[in-house]
Amino acid sequence: MKAIRAFLYRLSGLFDGQRKDRELEEELEGHLQMQIRDNIRAGMTPEQARRDALLKCGGLEQAKEAYRDRRGPQALETTLRDLRHAFRLLSRSPAFTLVAVLSLALGVGANTAIFTLLDQMVLRRLPVKHPEQLQMIWTTGPILGSNQGSRASSYPMYQDFQQRAPAFSYVFCRYYTPLSISLGNQTERVTGELVSGNYFQALGIGPALGRVFSPGEDDRVYKGHPAVVLSYPYWVARFGADAAVLGQKILVNNYPMVVVGVSAAGFSGVDPVRSPQIRIPIQMKPLMTPASDNLGDRRRQWVQIFARRKRGYTMQSAQASLQPLLSEILRAELESPALRGISKRDRDRFLARKVLTESAANGYSSLPTSYSRAMVALMCMVFVVLLIACFNVASLLIARAAARQKELAMRLAIGASRGQLLRQLLMESAVLAVVGGAMGLLLSVVMVRGLLRFLPTNGMLATLRAEPDWRILAFNTALAIGTTLLFGLAPAWQALKVDLWCTLKEAAGSVGGNRGSVRLRKSLVTAQVAFSFLLVAGALLFVKTLLNLKEMNSGFRDIDNLITFQIDPARSGYSLPRLKAFYQQVLESVRSLPEVKSASYAWIQVLSGREADWDFMIEGHPAEDRDTQAYVNGLSPGYWRTMGVPLLEGRDFEDSDVGGRPKVAIVNRKFASDFFGYQSPIGRHIGMGTLLREKPDTEIVGLVEDSLYEGPRQGVRRQVFFPFPQMNQPVATTFYVRTSTDSNRMFDTLRRKVMGLDATMPIYEMKTLEDQLDETLGTERLSATLSVAFGALATLLAAVGLYGVMALTVARRTREIGLRMALGARQGALLWMVMKEAFGLLGIGLALGIPCAYLLGRYVSSQLFGVVAADLGTAAVASITLTAVAAGAALVPARRASTVDPVQALRRE
Amino acid sequence: MTNKMDVWQGTLALMVLKTLETMGPLHGYGIARRIEQTSGDLLAVRYGTLYPALLKLVQEGSISVKWGVSDNNRRAKYYALTRAGKKQLENEARQWGQTTAIIARFFAPSEQDL
Repeated sequence: MKAIRAFLYRLSGLFDGQRKDRELEEELEGHLQMQIRDNIRAGMTPEQARRDALLKCGGLEQAKEAYRDRRGPQALETTLRDLRHAFRLLSRSPAFTLVAVLSLALGVGANTAIFTLLDQMVLRRLPVKHPEQLQMIWTTGPILGSNQGSRASSYPMYQDFQQRAPAFSYVFCRYYTPLSISLGNQTERVTGELVSGNYFQALGIGPALGRVFSPGEDDRVYKGHPAVVLSYPYWVARFGADAAVLGQKILVNNYPMVVVGVSAAGFSGVDPVRSPQIRIPIQMKPLMTPASDNLGDRRRQWVQIFARRKRGYTMQSAQASLQPLLSEILRAELESPALRGISKRDRDRFLARKVLTESAANGYSSLPTSYSRAMVALMCMVFVVLLIACFNVASLLIARAAARQKELAMRLAIGASRGQLLRQLLMESAVLAVVGGAMGLLLSVVMVRGLLRFLPTNGMLATLRAEPDWRILAFNTALAIGTTLLFGLAPAWQALKVDLWCTLKEAAGSVGGNRGSVRLRKSLVTAQVAFSFLLVAGALLFVKTLLNLKEMNSGFRDIDNLITFQIDPARSGYSLPRLKAFYQQVLESVRSLPEVKSASYAWIQVLSGREADWDFMIEGHPAEDRDTQAYVNGLSPGYWRTMGVPLLEGRDFEDSDVGGRPKVAIVNRKFASDFFGYQSPIGRHIGMGTLLREKPDTEIVGLVEDSLYEGPRQGVRRQVFFPFPQMNQPVATTFYVRTSTDSNRMFDTLRRKVMGLDATMPIYEMKTLEDQLDETLGTERLSATLSVAFGALATLLAAVGLYGVMALTVARRTREIGLRMALGARQGALLWMVMKEAFGLLGIGLALGIPCAYLLGRYVSSQLFGVVAADLGTAAVASITLTAVAAGAALVPARRASTVDPVQALRRE
Repeated sequence: MTNKMDVWQGTLALMVLKTLETMGPLHGYGIARRIEQTSGDLLAVRYGTLYPALLKLVQEGSISVKWGVSDNNRRAKYYALTRAGKKQLENEARQWGQTTAIIARFFAPSEQDL
């Protein structure tokens, strides 16, 4: 109690110091005067009285000082003094301060940025009830049907799992799809999710308003639940958080539905990077994706299954319990008419399908897994950068403390306490760390924004926040402060322990500090070299990969003059015939533009990672022999001319190739050579599916040169193309327009043309095919750019470190060098003597770095393309780069050593 | 110069409190003189020791301070014992008595000596 009172009193002492000083002076003056008066009364002369009083009372200034110390809170006051002192000292050596602060800022900033994104994409758990119980379920092996999206299952299979899986309290499913919403006259595209009725219950998510779906109310009647649950952010952004939205009728894909509720705030779904804006019961699927009703079809996989594990099961035991169930389902499926009569080989492969599961505690990220792998690799790299930065600061601090040893000894000798000096040294480190951390924060804000631009757009990353994460920033700053304090303290401690007399007496040795600190700095530099090698080699691998992918011949010509955009009239309620007519109208309207050389459309957008693949029957090739899978697309006439892919044989599709006419197809060269060798494929027949009871009914009429499909990484696929009108799935369509002028100026013109036909039709993803390719290579671009930046940064930091150590060594050995020169050593020899030491450090660093780089390369090997982890060229280039940089850094001090004036050096104290 | 002892740290507070108890409110100079006199002029109280000690006691609430007028018509700070200070004095006086008694025993000739 007394202590607290005293402390508060002292705190108040911080303020109004001048008035209190005046009062003290007055009090002390009064004291003195009274003493003088008493002395005079005792019979002294005024002169004597004054002298005696001053002696008796003691030093006036010391008294004031002691009083002031007592007045304010002591720790705070001295801290402020140390702080001022630290700032003064640091500003006196701006180069040191700049390097140290920048090192820390770059390290902390880059780390915070990368970790912030990674945390949101990969590391964070879903904000739902007991996320650790969630598990994603999918199956592998031949479907004997079609598949859409990754880890998809058929809806009936979901139902089987939901009803019969013993290990789970809930099994639920979802299907992500874009939807269009009409409110009044406005149509807009939103991201939607079709979900099973138990979706919200299983995740433990309630409504913020109205209600969410329940199995009883929203999962009973086929096509019978026209209900919409809005996501919280969408409700706020689109409807201004107005409660009147409940019961409102809206058109979803032109079908009237009712808003029944808003899901809880903070809930974004099971995909951390792609958050749907509205959710609809999955029973509405046929109405939401026109012309494809898959709900009852076991041969079409499209829903993603998630489940909540019961207590008492582990991930493994839960997965194991599903396998017998899957086998049972598959045996039953084989009995269905759709699969009757398949070959023995297909039958065995089908029955061998496996069920797989994975923890969904962090959700299922629709970003390709390559993103998270690349992110983990980048995370390791950036952490190494932070380490190098910290080592640099440590090395600088050690050097500084060593250089100040004499000064410290002097201050100790004239009466400073060790504690005081230690406090001051620590304060200096702390100032560095805090300023570096603060700059790191600023940097991380900029960097997160920059990074987000590298990631694919199309509405996907709406949920990623661009603000740096405070916890991560705090961690990194703490690490920076910790390192700085530790390495600021260690040499300080060492400096203060030394024998005063010896240090003051010592002459040349004091320049470079003692042997211990030099050895410590040398090991730090060795580690920096090793780390730098790791980063430079990694960067080279990523850059090579990107170049290999970019330079790969796409098969398409002049892709920067090729515009692509998408429309999806089916979602605006167009019927099938109207839709086909509309595509034709768009095509004609666009072709009428003078700047347009040619135009066409296709079912699947190329170079975007999307795909569709079927199994085929091929005339002359019994299905049981081999895999007959091929990748398909549906095309309008004129596609090949627009894309600039040569037609090798036969003919392109014509306007007369429509439904009801003989079915035709075009195949690419890879398909033809795989199945027909050197013979012409023209006139042969193929058929969709592998069922022997049907005769191949589609005639091959054309052969085209190979071109890329999903993207460069996947390479050239075996491909079959059909006339768009003969396909039975007229979904979203991609238009391709080849222009004769600058493509970027054509975007608005094209937009107006389409709007002229239907003003409410949304047009999306308008860009050149080259932009599309760049976007598809986003991960690679991100990895390459960042790793190069990190590698350069690391090398720079290591060079600074090496320079520092070599300069120190030379300074320490100046006398010795002078002596050698006096005895006749040549300049070249001295230069080499210093360089040899630098190369020694470099050699050890490289020896450590090379195996580490190999391991890192192995980890990211799935990310690499056309280059292997143990790439000798890469290792050589990285080694040469580092050697060159190291030589440059060591040359300056080496030259200084070789030009030492022996007389000066020997005379030097 | 006479061989006066500087007052010992720690005991000064007790002396100040006792002085204020006996004399009532007093200014700094008065306290210093009184302590010197009581010690038979064996102690010297310098203001470098006195005023920080007074401030400490004020901060701890053992004494209070008020501006007044000294006998030579100057403005002066008068220090007075507070209730808390009285209690502290009693406690410390008792402890001091005990301490001196214990120390005294070590130096008093005793029957168990060696």
